[in-house]
Amino acid sequence: MSSTTSSAPASSSPASSNPARRVPRPQELASSQKLMVFVLSMVLFGLANILTEVLPEFRVGPVELSVSYLAFVPVVMVSLFHPLYAALGAPLGEIIFVDLLMGNFSGVGELEGYIQLALGLYIGGSLVRDPARRWQVAVAAMVAVLIDKGVGGAVDILKVVVGVEDLESVQGLPESILALEGVAFASDFLISGIIFGAIPAAYLAPRLHGKIEPLMGMAPRDPRVPLPGRARQTAGFIGLAVVLFIASGLFAFLEYVDIELGLWEPDFLEQYGMSFLWVSVAACAVVLVTVVLLARRSAHRRRLEADHAPAAPATEAARTTTTGV
Amino acid sequence: MPAVIEVRDLTFRYPGAEVDSLVGVDLTIERGDFVAVVGGNGSGKTTLCKTFNGLIPHFWSGEMLGSVHVGGTDTHESSVAALSHQVGYVYQDFGNQLVRPTVRDDVAFGPINFGLTDHAERTEQAMAQLGIEHLASTFVWQLSGGQEHLTALAGVLAMRPEVIVVDEPVAELDPVRAEETYRMLAQVNAEQGTTIVVIEHHAEFIARYARSVVLMAQGAPRWHLPVREALSRAEELAEHGIPAPQVVQAVQALAPEAPVPLTVEEAVTALAGSGVLTGSGVVTGSSAPAEPRATSSRGPAVARLEGVTHGYRDVHGHLSTVLDDLSLTLHEGERIAVVGSNGAGKSTLLRLLTGLDVPRVGEVEVEGISTRSTSAARLADHVCYLYQHPEQMFLQDSVRQDIAMFPQQRRRPGTAELVEEILDRLRLREVADRDGRTLSGGQQRRATLGIALAMTPALLLLDEPTSSLDVGTRRDVTAMLAALAERIRCVAVATHDMHLVAEWASRVVVLHGGRVLADTTPAELFDDPDLMAAVHLVPPQVSVLGRALGIHPPPLSVAELTARVTQPVAAGVR
Amino acid sequence: MARKQRDVMSVEWVKLELLRTAYATRGGLLSRRDPRIVLGWYLVFAVVPWLTHNITTLAVLFGLTAVAVLVSRVGPLILGLFVIGLVLESTYLLLLAWLFDGDITTVLSLVTLTLKLGTISLASMAAFVSLDPEKLSDALISLRAPALLSFGVSYGYRMLPILMTEFHTIVNGFRLRSAPLERRGILGWRAVVRLSTTLVQAFYPMMLNTAKRTRTTVEALETRGFTFAGESRLGRDLRLAYLRVGAADVVLLVVTLVLVAAAFVTGAQVPLFAQAR
Repeated sequence: MSSTTSSAPASSSPASSNPARRVPRPQELASSQKLMVFVLSMVLFGLANILTEVLPEFRVGPVELSVSYLAFVPVVMVSLFHPLYAALGAPLGEIIFVDLLMGNFSGVGELEGYIQLALGLYIGGSLVRDPARRWQVAVAAMVAVLIDKGVGGAVDILKVVVGVEDLESVQGLPESILALEGVAFASDFLISGIIFGAIPAAYLAPRLHGKIEPLMGMAPRDPRVPLPGRARQTAGFIGLAVVLFIASGLFAFLEYVDIELGLWEPDFLEQYGMSFLWVSVAACAVVLVTVVLLARRSAHRRRLEADHAPAAPATEAARTTTTGV
Repeated sequence: MPAVIEVRDLTFRYPGAEVDSLVGVDLTIERGDFVAVVGGNGSGKTTLCKTFNGLIPHFWSGEMLGSVHVGGTDTHESSVAALSHQVGYVYQDFGNQLVRPTVRDDVAFGPINFGLTDHAERTEQAMAQLGIEHLASTFVWQLSGGQEHLTALAGVLAMRPEVIVVDEPVAELDPVRAEETYRMLAQVNAEQGTTIVVIEHHAEFIARYARSVVLMAQGAPRWHLPVREALSRAEELAEHGIPAPQVVQAVQALAPEAPVPLTVEEAVTALAGSGVLTGSGVVTGSSAPAEPRATSSRGPAVARLEGVTHGYRDVHGHLSTVLDDLSLTLHEGERIAVVGSNGAGKSTLLRLLTGLDVPRVGEVEVEGISTRSTSAARLADHVCYLYQHPEQMFLQDSVRQDIAMFPQQRRRPGTAELVEEILDRLRLREVADRDGRTLSGGQQRRATLGIALAMTPALLLLDEPTSSLDVGTRRDVTAMLAALAERIRCVAVATHDMHLVAEWASRVVVLHGGRVLADTTPAELFDDPDLMAAVHLVPPQVSVLGRALGIHPPPLSVAELTARVTQPVAAGVR
Repeated sequence: MARKQRDVMSVEWVKLELLRTAYATRGGLLSRRDPRIVLGWYLVFAVVPWLTHNITTLAVLFGLTAVAVLVSRVGPLILGLFVIGLVLESTYLLLLAWLFDGDITTVLSLVTLTLKLGTISLASMAAFVSLDPEKLSDALISLRAPALLSFGVSYGYRMLPILMTEFHTIVNGFRLRSAPLERRGILGWRAVVRLSTTLVQAFYPMMLNTAKRTRTTVEALETRGFTFAGESRLGRDLRLAYLRVGAADVVLLVVTLVLVAAAFVTGAQVPLFAQAR
């Protein structure tokens, strides 16, 4: 036995001589808890996607009227838990459970979808200050779907609008694309954003708030203690992110038009399919990175401020915060 | 023996919690010991054990005071990864501990992650040691509970730790499987000198396998004693929800001065030595069991299965036969225990009675209604089925709403009064507004019984109602079941719990290979060791003791045993 | 109508089909190949269709992947969903084009698009159906995907059957404990509403139960060295030691490339509808 190596700090009254070794911050997550949020979000949204995929009852009429996803599941996750990790986990669940498992993987397109949904969820979740308030959660759901589906659709329409001026060779197709995108967007927003988004999320989140967190050994989100790492610093920030996002799509498109104007062909659909995808993925990635960096920077700044605040003895501070919860 | 775990002045509080979970714990566990940690719910058993492998404070970053040394290393200076070479942990919900698709892959997960080059050898050895080599390429979701537990244990063994912590192995396993786990643990303990720590409240297992016992109460050890001494404090243990084994109770009642027995054999010796026994073991069966439960005149039929054959298709497309041309009638006023080994078809039988499934061949009728002719939702007016895992029954956000759900949805008159009455009857009023999942094990069972009562079915089916309950709570549930009789025409329970069978059932249906192997009473079942062995069941200790003393039919409770061992006669038996 | 035990088109069947797909229990040509080669094989068919507008070439590619799907023994559920999706999509696009006075060029451009998307879908079906979760996650590790992704794959597949069983149980609980529907309503709208609300409500217990599971799993991951493996290379090398590209793998890739080249040659020789442009 090598117990001699440790100078057994046993005897003396530890409370005074050996202060608390770990001082928890109730709203700050350990890396393990981040993993937990990530995994939970992934698994639940994966399951939800399998359901939308295999339940034929949900295919009402043409494809565009189907439920594209059960948005309420990840929205509840980002409302209750740390928005960033929940937002990163959910779209991965979709990729793993549906796209890989069911052999429905569409390559690079998945990446674009991942980034769009993750960004939408992250911003939506960051809007929620108090998950017990139904409106906040409902707005989060709508914002998430709006960003995920709406921006993509809007950019698509823009593409066609610009494209039509240069192209009259195919009768009907541009309009059909316009109509298709319009219908898709409207129905997606109505079905995924409202019926399977805002309404169920607003119903579930307040019921789960305060119940699900202790099961995972976490403190519930407290409206008085802002979460570190959430995107919500100012209202302007969100606006900026959205504008950036749209702009990125627009820029990507203009760039494309510039290159491709001369060789516009009737089957332009697949023509710009791949190249446009690449560009928009890159643009999305740039925006996402910018958003995360901004959020981190402001969180860092706030933490610095907090550290400069007069510090009570560590244990005391922790105990008061916890009892205050 | 040198200490392998040393805990000094340990106090811990979970983040966000109102009270300390551990308060000034001082504890030394010696290398090579087999320790049982016992204590009521919330006594800090599990929290204590999580300090051994560094999950506390590295994973759960609560407030921690004091120190824990494992093999001389201060856990605070170490990391979870480093400590996992020294301490292995098998969880109470061990199924969730398995993270890889196949058994071999899961067992190798730890060694591979830690970059141990002999991982293949370790994996094979761990599987061989527990006798699960044949499962190596099975998918983990295909395993039975017992196999899952052994896989989790193998994953821990492959790391070759100095200490293995097993959290409540009996909670999710049937007694035969738990016995197997214990045998394996004892073997590892004996062959490799691995220190074993089990959190356990089944005194019978403690008596037979543990060498020392730690009693936890209010976040600190009350005492740490050798097992025999610990079990002699029967009253103190009972206060903390751990009633003494039946042999201890019997011997203390009949021969208080005899040493505390740990096994049935020791109990026989103790009783023989103290001269309690009758001369030739002729404690007659004529002094009949305390209450005659066998229903000779059967009531009208409540449910009927006629020539039922049923089976499921597996992932490879093979059709397995679970029930094979089975016929059975359940009568009014009966308390039926359906027993049999895993896979004997108990759960399938219950599912067919609910109408969730219809049989491939044959007819199932409940109150004269064929399950083929109606939907399961309509049949729910007549039958209620309670799942093994209560959390699957909690669909609403409070116990009150869960109980009210069925009558409210079906617009039955008098729902409000009924719900209030049930809450009072099942002592659920204080927890009525909480979510079922946040309750203790016993409260959860009572809440599911409340759901059943509110459905006022003619036939109530329960799947393993006493699994994962401590002994005290189990009794509570058994008593509740007995009280149901006045409301419900017939109750059938699928169970491995022979104490429940002994104390509650009036009729036992033994399933084996998809057929009814025996249709009998508890006493007759326990008097037939061949039958019991054939279906992998272990009778309650008191019945085994009774038989060993020559009592036929064997007693079903300690009270019955003491009542029937009447005349103390001179020694000289066996 | 008397109820009967059904082996197909039931919830149980869907579950088993998904498991068969996920765990590649049916075997097949690609399932014996090195997983990285299978991913590469898939990538070929994911990229190549975008390089051409030649309908002949695309049709040949479509045919190739269709054969690959057959020899990979893709199950009826996945195939059925694919065919339904393909048919619905084509019908819908054609309908729209017709409504907006489209002519043959429109239809043709839509056919090329459908062929391209169909080829990619078929290739991904053949590839991912043939990869069991272990192989897939190991291939991802070896291709230096993030550790969370490869873990997510193996854990997701492992949890899938359990989650589906639990969800089914909970939905059954709702069915049994709520009132049966008296009328289905026009177009069964009551049934649709009931199904939707049940689906949403079922997520309440599902989320709580899954949260409980996740806690144990993540704790166990920590004690079993998952985080440690993310920081050290030792485990990675050990795990991937068995991955080896053999002669058969090379043959597969070569044959694939030759066939793809043949598709392009055929397209150049016999360009179908090329004059329509």
